[in-house]
Amino acid sequence: MSNRVLNVGSKFPAFNKIACVSLEKGKEFANVSNEDHQKNDQWMVMFWWPKDFTFVCPTEIAEFNAAYEEFRDRDTQLLGASTDSEFVHLAWRNDHDDLRGLKFPMIADTSKSLAEELGVLEAEEKIALRATFIVDPQGIIRWVAVNDLNVGRNVKEVIRVLDALQTDELCPCNWEKGEETLTAALAAN
Amino acid sequence: MLQEVKNDIIENLGLDQQNDLLDFLVDGSSRYIKDIKLNFKTALDVEHMTAKEAHLTGLAIAVNNKSSKLISFFQKKCAELEATEAEIAEVIACASLLSANNIFYRFRHFVDSDKYDSIPAKIRMNIMAKPVLGKEFFELISLAVSAANGCEMCVKSHEKSVKSFGSGEQRIFDAIRIASVVTSIDKLLL
Repeated sequence: MSNRVLNVGSKFPAFNKIACVSLEKGKEFANVSNEDHQKNDQWMVMFWWPKDFTFVCPTEIAEFNAAYEEFRDRDTQLLGASTDSEFVHLAWRNDHDDLRGLKFPMIADTSKSLAEELGVLEAEEKIALRATFIVDPQGIIRWVAVNDLNVGRNVKEVIRVLDALQTDELCPCNWEKGEETLTAALAAN
Repeated sequence: MLQEVKNDIIENLGLDQQNDLLDFLVDGSSRYIKDIKLNFKTALDVEHMTAKEAHLTGLAIAVNNKSSKLISFFQKKCAELEATEAEIAEVIACASLLSANNIFYRFRHFVDSDKYDSIPAKIRMNIMAKPVLGKEFFELISLAVSAANGCEMCVKSHEKSVKSFGSGEQRIFDAIRIASVVTSIDKLLL
């Protein structure tokens, strides 16, 4: 099994997975694919956790959820994922107060194929490390951070990086240095 | 006679009868009221821009100047000239963003220290990437707004940028004239 995490500049692997998207009867599940955000010219943030029904996870997931609007305002599709099944996701959401109001899909990578392709499967238990990917609207990975199983993440840091990636000084007012490159870039777009 | 000129202006712009500054001009027999009427007409009826482009440029300047009367005039005209809602929205957004950039980059240019070039701007300029108005026209409006706000380097950079798309001095000057004249008429509307 590969333990090499897909890095900045790589194409995010194609995927089409069932996700738990709602608590409403009949609308619990939907398919989520790598094309969804690209179709809408959006960015994607996908964050992984090791196992449903553990203690670190809900805090972290609730924190991502509290920042849902921050991602939305930045044209970014937020996706959570683990190797648990969609039914486990649903049960966990029903079970935990902090998870009932989740606004983003929880992807069920039950086959572990995506986690493996991304290189974020932990060797012993074959569960996902706490990896976070920022992917641009063209489907290219622009940022990766991987924490060991017990180390929680800082959502503000994810937003800071997203901001930095999205905020180019596109204005020609800034052209004094490296002018030719920018002119060419502008003309090519 | 000057009263008639004033009435023409008022009718054209859809203003209220009561207009103190125009009345001062009429009462003091200033021929400037005729000139400004002609300037306005000349500025918007130009050779190197379509009528729609000219009025969208006027709208950007009106927004930049926060002139509610001229904003509603240009907004109406632009709609009549079949500007889409997306185009009108983009012009408004462009005027707002450029007023930020003019302050921001003018500061950098004034101070002229490398230190500020290396600190991230943290101002979102993403609307510049794929404008519905097309890059050339978006740049042209940016240039007009920068001229109205008096940022030397912004004016120089956007002028260069508009030319890089193949536009000539005549078209650029048409946009600058609109910025100038729209601002001058704005001064008379309280």
